[in-house]
Amino acid sequence: MSETSRNPRRALSRALTRIANADVAETLAQQSGATTPEMSRIGVTGAPGAGKSTLIARLAKLRKVEEHKIAVLAIDPTSPVSQGSILGDRIRMDSIADDPDIFIRSIPSRRAHDGLTDNTADLLNAMEGHGFDEVILESVGVGQAEYTIRTLVDTVVLVLLPESGDAIQAMKAGILEMADIYVVNKADLPGAELMAAEIAQVAAHQSADDWTPPVISTSRDDPNGFAELDAAITAHTEWRKTHLDETASRRARARYQAQGLLSRRIDEIVDADSSLLDLDPQGLFDALIDKLNPKSRGA
Amino acid sequence: MSLNGKRILIAKPGLDGHDVGAKIIALALRDAGADVIYTGLRRSPDYIARVAVDEDVDAVGLSILSGSHKELVEETVRCLAELDAGDIHLFVGGTIPSEDHDELRQAGARGIFTAEMALDEVVAAVEADLNA
Repeated sequence: MSETSRNPRRALSRALTRIANADVAETLAQQSGATTPEMSRIGVTGAPGAGKSTLIARLAKLRKVEEHKIAVLAIDPTSPVSQGSILGDRIRMDSIADDPDIFIRSIPSRRAHDGLTDNTADLLNAMEGHGFDEVILESVGVGQAEYTIRTLVDTVVLVLLPESGDAIQAMKAGILEMADIYVVNKADLPGAELMAAEIAQVAAHQSADDWTPPVISTSRDDPNGFAELDAAITAHTEWRKTHLDETASRRARARYQAQGLLSRRIDEIVDADSSLLDLDPQGLFDALIDKLNPKSRGA
Repeated sequence: MSLNGKRILIAKPGLDGHDVGAKIIALALRDAGADVIYTGLRRSPDYIARVAVDEDVDAVGLSILSGSHKELVEETVRCLAELDAGDIHLFVGGTIPSEDHDELRQAGARGIFTAEMALDEVVAAVEADLNA
């Protein structure tokens, strides 16, 4: 049972587990510094039940052209009670389940509260090292906090349902300003056209550097919608190549990763000595700063 | 002892279409702290083994009510070994007559769980096995 399995797929799979379970010190030791991102990262987000997993399956099939290697990372919520999880996204990815060329990995959200998981940044970096051309990240649909996905992926696809109030909810949540592509899924349901029109108006205000987020209607029985989505993602990837502020993007990712690592380190410190939590806020803060100092680490 | 950090695949091989038991077990294992992946109905042993590898699970639990448990267990063990994943622990649950238990154990099943067993007992057995 080593990472040098004769089955390369197993070696990758085990490496991902190691990264997912690494503590902060191990994570830092494994980081090889800035890499040139060759792999494009597509984030698919939206409320639970919006149809993200099913949509990703359709999409992955379309995007797997020629030698294009695709991976899917699907994040599902961890129970705050037992710390366990049911990772169910796979079942909805039936149509690609039998395609051995598409790598699907289900991941519990653990302690992360932002719709992602503790080590998303590290896991994405690891996928990069394994020759994937594209990774599709499915984030757990928790709404308001999902703007963090913006930092970690290149193209954000927001999946919405044509239900009354959904557009307003999405605007309130702030995620409407975050997406590069909007999808009104289950577009055969009543209200879909209105919804798409409303979103298109919002999106028109959001256009920057000649990218106006398209609004695409998809429904299960209409292959055109999915083809349109596939084309929109490719168009956005191309657009990004010429319009992206690479420094800003790299810095945003570095900031997110540092915040995540600090937050996890604080959890580690507090878990090791929960009496710290009995201190007053200033005392707790000072104690944490003290313990975060590498010189006192492990002491 | 808990199943925190353990990844378990609950799988339904073969043709029977009843997965209430599989889902109950999945929830019980989650409540004990495991990350549980469920395959859905009617999966081939080959498919189950591939998912077990991609998801890097510690154990696979096969839920079988169709009576073909011997063939399905043997085939799953063979497929796992083919993928260099013979070290993944295998459990079987369902309607398994007691006279078949020895043979299944010999084939590679590390635990056999029938409907008469209490859920706690099943979870405890999985916990003991994976933490050994």
